[in-house]
Amino acid sequence: MSAKQKVLVSHGAVVCDECEIVGDVTIGARSVIHPKARIIADDGPIIIGENNIIEELVTIINRNPAGTDANTQQVMIVGNNNVFEVGCYVEATKIGDHNVVEAKAKVGRQVGLTTGCIIGSMCSLTSNEILPENTVIYGEECERRVQRERPPTQNLQIDFLTKILPNYHYIKKTKSSTPQRT
Amino acid sequence: MEFQDQFYTNGEYIETASGNKVSRQSVLCGSQNIVINGKTIIMTDCVIRGDLANVRIGRHCVISRKAVIRPPFKKFSKGVAFFPLHIGDHVFIDEDSIVNAAQVGSYVHIGKNCVIGRRCVLKDCCAIADNTVLPPETVVPPFTVFSGSPGQFTAELPECTQDLMLDVTMNYYQHFKATAGVKEKKK
Repeated sequence: MSAKQKVLVSHGAVVCDECEIVGDVTIGARSVIHPKARIIADDGPIIIGENNIIEELVTIINRNPAGTDANTQQVMIVGNNNVFEVGCYVEATKIGDHNVVEAKAKVGRQVGLTTGCIIGSMCSLTSNEILPENTVIYGEECERRVQRERPPTQNLQIDFLTKILPNYHYIKKTKSSTPQRT
Repeated sequence: MEFQDQFYTNGEYIETASGNKVSRQSVLCGSQNIVINGKTIIMTDCVIRGDLANVRIGRHCVISRKAVIRPPFKKFSKGVAFFPLHIGDHVFIDEDSIVNAAQVGSYVHIGKNCVIGRRCVLKDCCAIADNTVLPPETVVPPFTVFSGSPGQFTAELPECTQDLMLDVTMNYYQHFKATAGVKEKKK
């Protein structure tokens, strides 16, 4: 089922032209999407909030698991101030704010991230649960604990990247100055 | 160990005057900031982020498929900065690895599917086993092997590591040939 091709980039977002965006995707203000990221809205739209960093080779995909009714549509919502590091793979439909998904981590379809969660490098999370706030998942065995405070925001890095990326890459044009009504 | 000849179709790689072989399918961002010193192979689907900071890669390195070389960033009291990334000579980086290090010495082997965290320092003659995750700011001393997640010291390397890595990387380069040119590759 091919969703209609509609990419909305809010004002102030930096989306490199070399990334692959398929389907109905909305990108909030001041988000930075590096080249070679993949955002694929096959089975329902993806809405990405503000101040997110999506690094290269990240896959954010809204796809129903095999065997479900092809007509079920689920909206995938990513909140604000999240960081998706190089090569991570995210299928989760509910992602809150201030989360960090580290390099090569995998977040399954049934997982919900609330606020301030960190998924460590190479950790794979495919259970059916909603993580409590400030959960940290780390190490080989995907151990978990709860951290006192949420990870710091990356506003300075976003400022730097919004300045530097347009010097080296073609940037997708912003198509609307206000976030899309949903 | 004897290397098998590895062939690529002629148009797939660009060979520079200094003997670098760079895949057309690789992604070199900000190529004016990337210095590759010669006889280095950069394979398909590699990503090298020269746009963030300078990247310098030494001679006779091999960067395998889908590896990501990306300068690390550090936050200061005001602003952030991306640090230049230096990779020494005769470094072998295997497939799917992500290198966020500040410095990689010479004669280093990085295994498959590794994550080298931000601002790690890999000294000369060390090795990182497959599937290792090095946490940020790890220092890997010479003649050690790190493995696991988080990466920890697990073994030592022999004193001849330098010669072994010299052998491996030079042989690899010699056996990495274009199919169209059957004649012996000139040095």
